[in-house]
Amino acid sequence: MDKHLKKLENESIYILRQSYRSIKNLAMLWSLGKDSNVMVWLAFKAFLGKIPFPLVHVDTEKKFREMYDFRDEYEKKWKLKLIKGSCPSIEEIDPSLPPAARSAARKTEGLKRVLKEYKFKGIIAGIRRDEQGTRAKERIFSPRDESGTWDMKNQPPEFWDQSNFNYPDKVHIRIHPLLGWTEIDIWNYIKDQNIPIVNLYFSKNGKRYRSLGDKDITFPVNSDAKTLDEIIDELKITQISERSGRAMDHEQEDVFERLRSKGYM
Amino acid sequence: MSNTQDSIIPKVVIVGHVDHGKSSMIGRLMYDLNEVPEQKYSELKAVSEKRGMEFEFAFLLDALQAERDQGITIDTTQIFFKTKKRKYVFIDAPGHKEFIKNMITGASSADIAILIVDVNEGLKEQTKKHAYLLKLLGLNRVICLFNKMDMINYNQHKFLKIQKELEIFLRKINVSTISSIPITAKFGDNIVFRSKNINWFDQKTFCEVLDDYNISDIENKLPLRLPVQDIYKVGNKRVIVGRVESGVIKKNDELFFLPSSETVQLSSFEAWPKKKEEYIAGENVAITLKEQIFVDKGNLISHLENSPKLMNTFEASLFWLSEKKLNFTKKYLMKINTGEYNISVTEVSKIINTNNLSSKKLSSVPEKNDVCEVIIHSQQLIPMDDFKINQKTGRFCLLDEEQIIAGGIINLGNFPDQKHLKSTKNVKPVNFSVTEIDRAQRFNHRSAIIWMTGLSGSGKSTIAREVERKLFVKGFNVFILDGDNLRTGVNRGLGFTAEDRTENIRRTAEVAKLFAQAGFVVLVSLISPYRSERKKARDIRPEIFKQIYVKASLDECKKRDVKGLYAKALSGEIDNFTGISSPYEEPKTPDLTLDTIKESIDESVIKLENFIIKEFGILKNS
Repeated sequence: MDKHLKKLENESIYILRQSYRSIKNLAMLWSLGKDSNVMVWLAFKAFLGKIPFPLVHVDTEKKFREMYDFRDEYEKKWKLKLIKGSCPSIEEIDPSLPPAARSAARKTEGLKRVLKEYKFKGIIAGIRRDEQGTRAKERIFSPRDESGTWDMKNQPPEFWDQSNFNYPDKVHIRIHPLLGWTEIDIWNYIKDQNIPIVNLYFSKNGKRYRSLGDKDITFPVNSDAKTLDEIIDELKITQISERSGRAMDHEQEDVFERLRSKGYM
Repeated sequence: MSNTQDSIIPKVVIVGHVDHGKSSMIGRLMYDLNEVPEQKYSELKAVSEKRGMEFEFAFLLDALQAERDQGITIDTTQIFFKTKKRKYVFIDAPGHKEFIKNMITGASSADIAILIVDVNEGLKEQTKKHAYLLKLLGLNRVICLFNKMDMINYNQHKFLKIQKELEIFLRKINVSTISSIPITAKFGDNIVFRSKNINWFDQKTFCEVLDDYNISDIENKLPLRLPVQDIYKVGNKRVIVGRVESGVIKKNDELFFLPSSETVQLSSFEAWPKKKEEYIAGENVAITLKEQIFVDKGNLISHLENSPKLMNTFEASLFWLSEKKLNFTKKYLMKINTGEYNISVTEVSKIINTNNLSSKKLSSVPEKNDVCEVIIHSQQLIPMDDFKINQKTGRFCLLDEEQIIAGGIINLGNFPDQKHLKSTKNVKPVNFSVTEIDRAQRFNHRSAIIWMTGLSGSGKSTIAREVERKLFVKGFNVFILDGDNLRTGVNRGLGFTAEDRTENIRRTAEVAKLFAQAGFVVLVSLISPYRSERKKARDIRPEIFKQIYVKASLDECKKRDVKGLYAKALSGEIDNFTGISSPYEEPKTPDLTLDTIKESIDESVIKLENFIIKEFGILKNS
């Protein structure tokens, strides 16, 4: 493994172990995408082959068939403790949001339900700084109040791998072990470690998915990349952003910030 | 994989006064390197037009609405891009003095530091403050950029004047300058491309300086430092995990543990899916030991030679981030690597005015965003290094009531090392005295104070008795200190007023401490209604103290009323009864909660028993 990947891997493992040590009642979000599979893999490394907390799949019931098949296969193969969370219907979501964002916000509400039911104090999520401008502003350990609100203008300081874990009862902490990874890092690591992923990422009929979400608001990009190597080569030269196929990102300038401030990952 | 892939990606931080052009410089750099995707460019163009501005490169980083509307950076951000030579992560740090904590968050992880100055405005308050903070963060070599050269008509003399002024300041605080470059972020002068407007400047462009910067991996050459992050049980192995902060750890190494000063041989590395023979700085390890000794989270592992210092009094330079002023009578929580200690600041020797480097009078205390020099004292011995010797183990942060309030670097100066290397091996000299560790090794468990708090009738005593019995059968030395029983002896004569309760708890905690010294697991079953008193109890032996909240609602306890006390309290027969006429403050962060409404007594008993075994049991080598 090259030095850079090694460094990222070690940083992430340290964060996972630090979370497990410091936060009682922890869970990891497993969205079934490439990033969250890398995260599960890192958790196996951090905890020497057995993940000591449950995984959570917040199911919008609008994922691709291939994603559900993948989930069911690896839930067994990896012997995961898996919690499947449900989401409210679109009618219950803030109607002032543009359509795709409103649809995506269901997931936030689904997560809140899980948080409430299981009283998790820490939620590990696989977001990355390079995906989106407001994600770039995130902390590794990011406190959220009961409603999941992200107080982005007043985030706690975080330096020298020191963070505060001691928050009032109703606050939970979002943990972001992949914050420093980029899209190409993820692919290089998947290749290096031979990590299984959903086949929708590979080109079929000249198109492939670069990012997976709900099937009605996620679109494939033009691509002939059929192998990991071809994907990596494609990413080295592409001018198209990773989330270009995610309709919710492009509806309004501030829509992602609005979603995130209300608790979206 | 290409060469550019196979090297470390340096993290570069840009600091400087607000509006001197940090975000714009990064935006321009990326644009000139062709690193802004078309889609992003048109998105930002629209965003700029919407606000009636010409194209604003800063919006590439200032993603938050408030940042775009106010035209300033609020929080630190990171952005990735590549030059012809290699990839970088750029960290943009806010320059406004309100956001120093965000600047530190950004800059603390950087490998390379850049200080940017608006030549038209010259050195400002935050230019100097940031330079000083860089030094405290260990970044004592900087690249200096002099921005907005267009505003002074690319005048060489004006540039040289400000450059000299900055250099003198940096020299005074022991920061060296790698390069000083006149630039214009807006037009791209001397960033990636050589400027035609600044033809008198013939040195490297900013991008060339960056590409030529060598990142040292000095950590591998320093002595071994491995802070214990956690202890896992894997099968019947007790596995110590942590990250090598510096040095190298190999199979069969003799390891030296602080603060216990024990030496023991490394037995194996554990890893999934496969392990290696040695690990270097930056790598996470999981190890087992040849002999079981007393290891705790926060211990620091090294080799016997070049081991860290063990200190209870030391000097530090602090940056103070809190609105609240420093308070000498207060205990703060110090986090250093994976260790946590209660400390107090005993003296402020200097508060530095970073603007003119003068120091304020000695009687004052630091306020928000001040930097100062202090003396810190701890009741426990803390393993550490001088920051100049090892940055990773020579820095810490201070917390107060759930917030990070300061960061600091350690200056051991003339303070003596408290480590006494009396015996290097586990062999005891003839005149040895029995220590708690010796007892723990004989009993196969460490001593512990298990403090069970909860309302009368919540189930404390019932659970304690059952757990005592079960642990006793398993060979534990275990003993219950019960509030009711103690009142007939040690605590006789104490009533139920707030003062008497305080004394009751103090005495009980002191008795618990003695039992702990004798190697016992002490189960304390005591209502102990006040948070502050429980905290005092914890402070007597924080490293072995566990607070267990035996939880049941007041209504349920009234209903149970095993001893008939609630009925008496309600009828006014008993005064100061917790829950009725006297408050009970729930623990905010108990180490374990036993909810006796949701769980059966058996379930609670098993939960507590397992908790004690996991936290305090020692497995013998099989």
